[in-house]
Amino acid sequence: MAIEAEDMSSNSIKILAGNSHPELAAIISKRLGIPLSKVGVYQYSNKETSVTIGESIRDEDVYIIQTGTGEQEINDFLMELLIMVHACRTASVRRITAVIPNFPYARQDKKDKSRAPITAKLIANLLETAGCDHVITMDLHASQIQGFFHIPVDNLYAEPSVLNYIETKTDLANAILVSPDAGGAKRVASLADKLDLNFALIHKERQKANEVSRMVLVGDVTGKSCLLIDDMADTCGTLVKATNTLLDHGAKEVIAIVSHGIFSGAARERLQNSKLSRIVCTNTVPVDLDLDILDQIDISPTLAEAIRRLHNGESVSYLFTHAPS
Amino acid sequence: MGSNNIVVFGGGSHPQLVNMICENLGVKPAHVELGKFSNGETSISVHESVREKDVYVIQSGCGHVNDNFMELLILLSACKTASASRVTAVMPYFCYSRQPDIPYTAKGAPLVSKQKENVSFQSSSNGGQAFTLMTHKPGEETLLKANDSGLRQFNNVGSSTNLIKSTSFSRIPMIPGGKEQGSSKTDAGELFNAQNSGYKLWVAQAGTLIANLLTTSGADHVITMDLHDPQFQGFFDIPVDNLYCKPIAQSYIQHHIPNYKEAVIVSPDAGGAKRATSIADSLKLSFALIHKERRSQLLKGPPSTTLTSGNTLPVTAPLITPFSSREMSSSTSTSKYVQTTMLVGDVKNKVCILVDDLVDTSYTITRAAKLLKDQGATKVYALVTHGIFSGDALIKIQQSAIDKLIVSNSVPQKETVEFLGKHRVDVLDVSRVLAEAIRRIHNGESISMLFEHGW
Repeated sequence: MAIEAEDMSSNSIKILAGNSHPELAAIISKRLGIPLSKVGVYQYSNKETSVTIGESIRDEDVYIIQTGTGEQEINDFLMELLIMVHACRTASVRRITAVIPNFPYARQDKKDKSRAPITAKLIANLLETAGCDHVITMDLHASQIQGFFHIPVDNLYAEPSVLNYIETKTDLANAILVSPDAGGAKRVASLADKLDLNFALIHKERQKANEVSRMVLVGDVTGKSCLLIDDMADTCGTLVKATNTLLDHGAKEVIAIVSHGIFSGAARERLQNSKLSRIVCTNTVPVDLDLDILDQIDISPTLAEAIRRLHNGESVSYLFTHAPS
Repeated sequence: MGSNNIVVFGGGSHPQLVNMICENLGVKPAHVELGKFSNGETSISVHESVREKDVYVIQSGCGHVNDNFMELLILLSACKTASASRVTAVMPYFCYSRQPDIPYTAKGAPLVSKQKENVSFQSSSNGGQAFTLMTHKPGEETLLKANDSGLRQFNNVGSSTNLIKSTSFSRIPMIPGGKEQGSSKTDAGELFNAQNSGYKLWVAQAGTLIANLLTTSGADHVITMDLHDPQFQGFFDIPVDNLYCKPIAQSYIQHHIPNYKEAVIVSPDAGGAKRATSIADSLKLSFALIHKERRSQLLKGPPSTTLTSGNTLPVTAPLITPFSSREMSSSTSTSKYVQTTMLVGDVKNKVCILVDDLVDTSYTITRAAKLLKDQGATKVYALVTHGIFSGDALIKIQQSAIDKLIVSNSVPQKETVEFLGKHRVDVLDVSRVLAEAIRRIHNGESISMLFEHGW
């Protein structure tokens, strides 16, 4: 779908970008044919965040692109987003949409032990308090998080883009899809249906967060090239263990495909020393791993198209099954 | 409400103060694990029951402000969702309470962008342009006063030279442009081309937002101290108790400053005049005021002839110190932007006590101290409630004319004491007044006596 810049009444849409992922914001803005609005997001020397809006946004439809990333800066980026939303609210914009490709704190979405904070819910409340009217995000860790909001949330899927990638860049003949945990089974099953492939499941017995203990493989992977599918790769402990488990069970090769490549902590070393033949992630978060086995899927077309459709009041559901090219 | 109903949590920003407050209250800080997941997200786990308890969460707005603030919000909401009967946020220093309303700080506070390396790349053309944008009035001509020794002096301070120079030169922030340095340069230029459209740049004021975020996360009550703007209380829909450091400061003056009756209380800027006069009044001391004036076209002759009258002694200084005057005059549009600092009141041969609520970059207070010494003050004390001391503030203070710095422990001051030496810094303890406020609020007693008498 080619998008013509003149199709859009460019005087009624503004795209603002935070500091978290300037590259993604730049591609989205280029794709939409709308330059990024002039905003300055800075940090004072006392580490407080300061936002300067460099042009009039009165009565505009504003989209703010900010993703959850950064081992040191994730809270800074979050505050940036909140302050930008609030700044737009006080500047009398018509509608504020936060575009958050990777929703921060998405994994802290339940009270899994006494007095545990449901931070994802808190973030939802904070965004609403700041003045958000709409949220666009991608591959939420649990889609129930949409229910934490009182405002509309469009949870886009990377699946169509991933599907394209698998069809064009991997050998389907001998492939099998694998979910590294029970929670991802649904995601993998849906992909397997669309690709008409078999799928296997790894059941992990988790003892502590970010730590994986024993893995049990359900299904036969002997001689197959395994596509390990997950929604995010963080410390990569699960991925590496799953890879080893698969290879131990006779898999020919293992390719990991994840939506959010966070790659924190020891992820780099783990991937470097792993037997993965490829690790594929999308560009919802900036990735600065310089590994040969890394490959990226560009999901900016989906986000850009979602922004365009939302602005024009068109249905977004087409994007749940199709990746705009 | 029995006293066993109180639970005090400490955030990660100031554990020492938490311990002192708890000691004063005779309770133990509740067990909470603070940390981060490997992806940087804040993780907390509360190891003590808070059901139907009166919960106090102590977190100061210092250090890595946004991390600490998020930690506070998550703690508050965790306690709230764990059925605490009341959750009170205790913020000795309230972050985001002071935000300049122009894209640069009026005090010349350096705006440090996220990427450190960007600090130095600001080209002189951007700076010049920006400079023009804020002050340009048609038909003005450049009048540069390069005779300021104060700024020059600071610019030669040891290792910090580069930082100060670059940041003070172009006060306009640039776009921290991620990984593409080249593009961010042009962006910064573009951003401030806004002058053509007649659009005035403005900085988002986070005040209401912070208040609303606290309320949203479940705070039922806020205790803070010496808010920069007392109006800030009105941003909240929940009760806010703004305690004062004044009684503690007063008793310090009375007990630790020799011949304090001869001393002069000085406010380093007009905004703090009220705060300073109230101390001066209660101690029956005389009062002086330093007034900063940024005027761009009124100065026709040498300032000393036009502005001096009585005790009013002007000191003129360009607000920014250019790398060189050649660079400045090469900026295309011309404007004169001269800052006048004058002292109202007599400080000759007197001991001066500079009173301010907040010292961040220490630009104002060090310049004020210099002015006082220039005007014949024998000794300069600086009495500050919240000592944030960001950037190179401590170096500036070390080099400054301040003889003694008195600062409260609303934010950690260990580093300050270590840097400046024990003889030059006195730390006022605010833990007792905070503890007493917590005790009184918990017991439903009035806290208004704390405003006057301290604890």
